[in-house]
Amino acid sequence: MATERVRVRGLNIYRPIIYGNTATVLNPKQREALAPTAPDHTHTWTVAVRGAASAPDQDIVGGADDISHFIKRVTFKLHDTYPNPSRNIDKPPFEVTETGWGEFEIQIRITFVPDAGEKPITFYHHLKLHPWTATGEPEIPPIDVAAKLGPVHSWQYDELVFNDPFQTFLNTLMAHPPTPLVRSRRKPVPFHLAHMGGLEASKGGTPEFTQQMEKEEAERLEEARKAIVAEEERWRVKLIEREKELEQLQKLVAERAQ
Amino acid sequence: MANSLEVRAILDLPSTSSATPTIPQKKLSVPTIRKPEGISRELYSLIGPSSTTLVAQLAKPRLKQKPNLNAGSKIKWEWRPFKNGGRTDSLQLKHWVKASTEADAEYPFAKYNIQRPKYNDYSLEEYTTHLEDAKWSKEETDYLMNIVTEYDTRWYVIYDRYEFPGGVARSMEDIKDRYCSICRKLIRSRPWTGDESSKNALLSSFSFDKEREEMRKRYVASLENRTPEQIAEEEALYMEIKRLEQNEKRFKRERDDLLRTIGGIDSGLPDVVEDEMQLTGLSSSELKRSKKKGGDLDTPATPLLSTPLSRRPTMPPQNTAADRQHCITRTEIPGATSATKAAHQPAYLRSFKLPYPKAAIAQKVTQALAELGVSHARLVMPTQGNVALLEGLLDATSTLVDMKKLVDKAEFDIQVLKTRLGMQGAAKAEETDGDVNAMDMDDGNDADADMDGDADGEGEDGRAQSVVSTRSARSRKHNRRSMSISSVDTSATVSTRAGTKRQRRG
Repeated sequence: MATERVRVRGLNIYRPIIYGNTATVLNPKQREALAPTAPDHTHTWTVAVRGAASAPDQDIVGGADDISHFIKRVTFKLHDTYPNPSRNIDKPPFEVTETGWGEFEIQIRITFVPDAGEKPITFYHHLKLHPWTATGEPEIPPIDVAAKLGPVHSWQYDELVFNDPFQTFLNTLMAHPPTPLVRSRRKPVPFHLAHMGGLEASKGGTPEFTQQMEKEEAERLEEARKAIVAEEERWRVKLIEREKELEQLQKLVAERAQ
Repeated sequence: MANSLEVRAILDLPSTSSATPTIPQKKLSVPTIRKPEGISRELYSLIGPSSTTLVAQLAKPRLKQKPNLNAGSKIKWEWRPFKNGGRTDSLQLKHWVKASTEADAEYPFAKYNIQRPKYNDYSLEEYTTHLEDAKWSKEETDYLMNIVTEYDTRWYVIYDRYEFPGGVARSMEDIKDRYCSICRKLIRSRPWTGDESSKNALLSSFSFDKEREEMRKRYVASLENRTPEQIAEEEALYMEIKRLEQNEKRFKRERDDLLRTIGGIDSGLPDVVEDEMQLTGLSSSELKRSKKKGGDLDTPATPLLSTPLSRRPTMPPQNTAADRQHCITRTEIPGATSATKAAHQPAYLRSFKLPYPKAAIAQKVTQALAELGVSHARLVMPTQGNVALLEGLLDATSTLVDMKKLVDKAEFDIQVLKTRLGMQGAAKAEETDGDVNAMDMDDGNDADADMDGDADGEGEDGRAQSVVSTRSARSRKHNRRSMSISSVDTSATVSTRAGTKRQRRG
């Protein structure tokens, strides 16, 4: 029975994906079209799960690779106020486009191809409609200002890691190697709350994930670590001094006691 | 009266057997079957004729034939004289021999009279150059060699017969030792025909370690002379040892299992059960060869470990470039066992497995990192490398927080001691003052000058105040440093205002 279902041990294989959303303010014509059913919707947005690398000719974030060879279905669970809040997408592109007025948490569930023999994984994405701000505090600009600022992007890079995959699944994965991320930035950098300093770099168009981002983050982490270690050194020096002082005082106390 | 019989005869009725008086009838015997052979009648009647094996077996008892001891002709024996080729003299003996053997046949036991190489034919010069010994005179040596040759190195006989007039008592080890050493020296000194290895073999045959032999014989003797109690005690100890060893093995196995289930694949233990069953000799050597992840070249053999011998997955030739392209990382294979099979890690998003600081200090770590502008919970690009870096960062931060705790503790202890000293006489006040001030001079990277100024300026009177001032100066020094760290300090140095300090101490 298990002739092909042998796991290759000691091997991890990962695939880079991105998930997130793009949101655009509805222009007056669109709002009119929606007026009968949903007059209060202000934005149209698309939430998606895609491959991490961006295709040079397309204007979307990521999506250069086809990920349907290991992802069978993506389920987006929207807010309950939406009709049919549980949206199953069984074929690429794995995305849902809707209109709305508020931000909420979207639950994303990825079901893998049966060949993988893996349980579905679930994670969340906060739907971002309003532009990013420097302080991270929510700040909703008025509609016309927002319309001028252009689409809002909120994307997260991540890697799906498969441990000890089945041989057949491994072959499938190896048959579709992921497109590597482009080296350095040529488009705006996707903004992330973990790196508030990148706010400026994220403005001005459809962002793209790059290897440079990864390197920069690595540098930031390394810088932080060095700073911490230096600080620790200083404190260690202090500690040694304190301890010497303590010893002397203890000796004095002992002398006094006699 | 007519009886029934007559009535019936008259009426021509058939006579009923029940009514008729018991005419003695010949008892019908049970049809006799021929008595079975080999087994008793009762047994046969139990088993029945259908049991073929038994009946067939027991029917004919197969006994061993009596050996036909020369049932044929009779053999004649003769009393004949014979010649023994092994004798040097011409002693004529007689013995019984079958008449059929030819006369003058070779004595069959003559071939067992082997001649050993003699070592008692050394010359005088040889003796004086090689074989001299303080404890052995030449005469005694000669006597010994002759007796050994005569009794053909049968040591017990030699030992028994050894009686050199005027010599000291020699134990068997002594004479064996002397003999063997002489043989060795002669072999070495004499020219040797033949190759080196045979010479060495001969030499080794004459190796004799007197100490060891004596010890061995002592041991054997003591072993023989154990009292029954001693034997019983030894047995008991032996059983105990065995039991302890078994327990130890069991504990070790259980401990390893536990570690394996807790630590999972990374527990670093070699997996035991199935590998030993499947690949006994291979597994240990292959485990040694399997390497950690990170771009090392795995041998194609290592995946074989994980699969039964019959099915081997076709692994593409592994090299790091292809691995990177396909985003593959290889980890050390602990081997396929039931433990790791059960512990298959499901697929996950890497950001779900970010390292997290320990609960006790988590808050401080988070604060520290936030001040540095790093989020501990999320990464922009959670790749393998970055996750590792984050882990390193968290470790460093944890040690930093611990270090600060230690420093604060030490400072607190210092304070306690200082108050105690303060209460124990003002005479020593200047001393402690000086110490503290001196330490302040050495202390710190920045604002030394300021600190001294402060220490002097604020010192109103007495050391109590100066201690306070140094503390405040120190705290101020903290302030001058980066904002971040001070906020993470524990309570000891939180308040930076000298006033509050004074109040606390007052």
